Amino acid sequence: MVFSSITNWFKRRRQLARPWQAVRYIALDLETSGLHPQTDSLLAMAWIELKPPLLDYRSARYYLLGQQDTDLKQSPVVHGLRQQHFADPVDPQQALKELAGVLNGAVLVCHHVQLDWQFLKAAASRYDIRLRPLALFDTLQFDARRLRKQQHHIERGSLTLASCRQRYQLPIYQAHHAFDDAVGCGELFLAQAYHFGGRARVSVGEIIRQTRSA
Amino acid sequence: MQPDFAELQRFLLDCPPFDELDAEQRLAAIEQMQAVYLNKHNVESLFKEHSPALYIVRSGVFDLIAPDDTVIERLESHDLFGFPSLLSGRPVVNRLAVEADGIVYICPEPVFNQLRRASKAFEHYFIRAHGQRLLEEQKSERGASRSRATGHHLQLPISDVLRRKLVQMPSNATIRSAAERMSQEQVSSILIIDPPDTLAGILTDRDLRNRVVAQGLDYELQVNAVMTPAPATVYGRQSLMDALALMTQHNIHHLPVLNDKDEPIGMITNTDLMRQQRSEPVMLISALNKAASLDELIDEAQHMPAYIQTFAARVHDSTIVGRLLASLTDTMTRRLIELYEREHGVAPAAYAWLAFGSQGRQDQTLSSDQDNGLLLADDLNAQQQDWFKGLGDFVCDGLYRCGIPLCPGDIMASNQDCRRSLSGWLDRFSNWTTSPTPKALMYCQIFFDSRMVVGNKRLYNKYRAEVAKLGQSEFFLGNLARLQSNVPVPLGLFNRFRSTESGKDSDLINIKRYGIALINDIVRTYSLHAGLTEPGTLARLQELKGSRLLNRGDNQALGEAWLFLSGLRLQHQLEVWGTDKPKNALDPDELSTLTRRQLKSAFRIIKEAQQGVGLKFGRTG
Repeated sequence: MVFSSITNWFKRRRQLARPWQAVRYIALDLETSGLHPQTDSLLAMAWIELKPPLLDYRSARYYLLGQQDTDLKQSPVVHGLRQQHFADPVDPQQALKELAGVLNGAVLVCHHVQLDWQFLKAAASRYDIRLRPLALFDTLQFDARRLRKQQHHIERGSLTLASCRQRYQLPIYQAHHAFDDAVGCGELFLAQAYHFGGRARVSVGEIIRQTRSA
Repeated sequence: MQPDFAELQRFLLDCPPFDELDAEQRLAAIEQMQAVYLNKHNVESLFKEHSPALYIVRSGVFDLIAPDDTVIERLESHDLFGFPSLLSGRPVVNRLAVEADGIVYICPEPVFNQLRRASKAFEHYFIRAHGQRLLEEQKSERGASRSRATGHHLQLPISDVLRRKLVQMPSNATIRSAAERMSQEQVSSILIIDPPDTLAGILTDRDLRNRVVAQGLDYELQVNAVMTPAPATVYGRQSLMDALALMTQHNIHHLPVLNDKDEPIGMITNTDLMRQQRSEPVMLISALNKAASLDELIDEAQHMPAYIQTFAARVHDSTIVGRLLASLTDTMTRRLIELYEREHGVAPAAYAWLAFGSQGRQDQTLSSDQDNGLLLADDLNAQQQDWFKGLGDFVCDGLYRCGIPLCPGDIMASNQDCRRSLSGWLDRFSNWTTSPTPKALMYCQIFFDSRMVVGNKRLYNKYRAEVAKLGQSEFFLGNLARLQSNVPVPLGLFNRFRSTESGKDSDLINIKRYGIALINDIVRTYSLHAGLTEPGTLARLQELKGSRLLNRGDNQALGEAWLFLSGLRLQHQLEVWGTDKPKNALDPDELSTLTRRQLKSAFRIIKEAQQGVGLKFGRTG
């Protein structure tokens, strides 16, 4: 057990030293019934796989996870999700297993990744599933750090997915479906990563470090 | 489970030809696509790693560069590239340069081929785009049924409405037998046809009245003594609009119809045209013809703009509107001349009323102003001159009060300078052709698009032939060609639209001045060189087929560009009618993606034609 976690640690370190373009990324967005991973539930998840510089629409997935009696709370307002959307829900265990599969060895990319990660971990643990991404990348923190570094005053609303995308002249998306946000986040990641590490050889680890508070 | 890809669906719906696919086909394509964040760090590997493929620009700006380092095109949102090598099977030789990073979708070859098989419209789009023939009219099933359902009957071929069988007599038959035959068949005209199937003439009720009975001729004479020989004719494949235009132009009510072998197949009359349902154009023309006074004529003419608007919205073919407006203006002109003659007696000498510019070419719009003149017999005395001065004043003022704006350049028969004898006009033309100033050169061109509205045919034909001779001067054509090739087409570097206007209109492109008029000018140059006397641009192109200077492909492309721009202008004018917005300038950003691509394509054709005309004529002189 100890031995295997040591080999895993080495394996992970080797992976993080590779050029950032050489690994896989999963851009993901969740719809939840609230903001508390312990009490609120996961309603839907969407992801798309990235192999820089590509987003691969063949890997696009969208799963509605709720049950008929799921408490939607704020959600209809935020995501337009209503009860009838859950008429044909997917077994959460199946969906999470599939996610665990693609996430294995890949970097999880979300806009405000900690929240999504907490929800995913809580849901996965319920089904005894282990999610083992290589690392987490937060597109929100990346821009927050960049703005702080440039000594910008960070204005309210300037770190939303849409505002961040605007700074990279990415197209404006009208839809606020979990899948469109996953794609939006994936594109934002590519823009950020190429701006930071397009020219020289930059490792995955270095890219990830750009998302920690300075 | 797959997401519904709402965002990408919406984008592709606005990205022809993906809008031609059904939702299921579009979804199947999306599910197999990839998106690349294209920037200077990865642009070199795009073609290496992902070709052949169809690329769709979602955002960013990229230049497509040929192996000789010239920029082929600047690619922006909604632009497609990569399909030439998909269609030809040849490897990509061009490269890309990044101006601004962005998202490009990649549609791999197998998916592209699958879509081509699934949708004819999709396939046709790329075949046309590959051949740079985006303006070619789409002959899809959908398009055909649409135009038939909503089209105006004036677009129908004449042969569709020929019902009566051909009534004919040989030219050596007697007048009596012809009259008997007409009364048996209950027709108002009869075709005089000599074996084998050669149209010799036409005999009408009116001829019997005016040339036989009133003159007291012997009914046993042969019809060829009183028939109208070599009458104006139409072909069965031509449209009812063609027939209507010809009838108003010659002020006649009967037209023999020929097949493509020039054999007579029937007769079409203005009653046939009236009988067609919803035949307002014919009614309007006949109301104008019947107006008993200037006030009545002005009253009738007030209906014209509203009428033309509803008419234009119904017709599929925009050229029909230009021709109808010219026919209406012709009719008003003739009626005004008749009213003037009633007041001041008939013309004291031979003359021809000339229509220049858009009326001459028959591509008039509701905002076109008057361009006319008078060709007069030689050596008129002061009194005769006065009669024609009065005519010019009366008709131009009358046309103005009927809604045809005065010409700001004063090219009107009310201006003494535009009332000239044959030699007077020829002097003027030879001034232009031998020692033109730049301004005169620009301004003289519309005089070469002339048509006689009413008057002495022999006088006009002589004028037309002499003018055509002067127009063939190489020195003159060289000057015209240089002038035309210097007009800035509103495509800037990298084939981007460039505004042609200034001030508050600085987003607009004038598609008349830098499009339609420029094509008119270029085609006129070829046509003058060939000595043609036809004034209309499409008709000139038709006659130029087989010309060694203008090859068939370029000829067709110019015609398509002209048709496209005329249609676009008509659409635009209908939209802005009644507002103070410019009538000939529009904002390309307000056009649909397809129309924008077509507009670029039209300007590209014009640019090439400019270079062509410059090379062929511009060097001499």
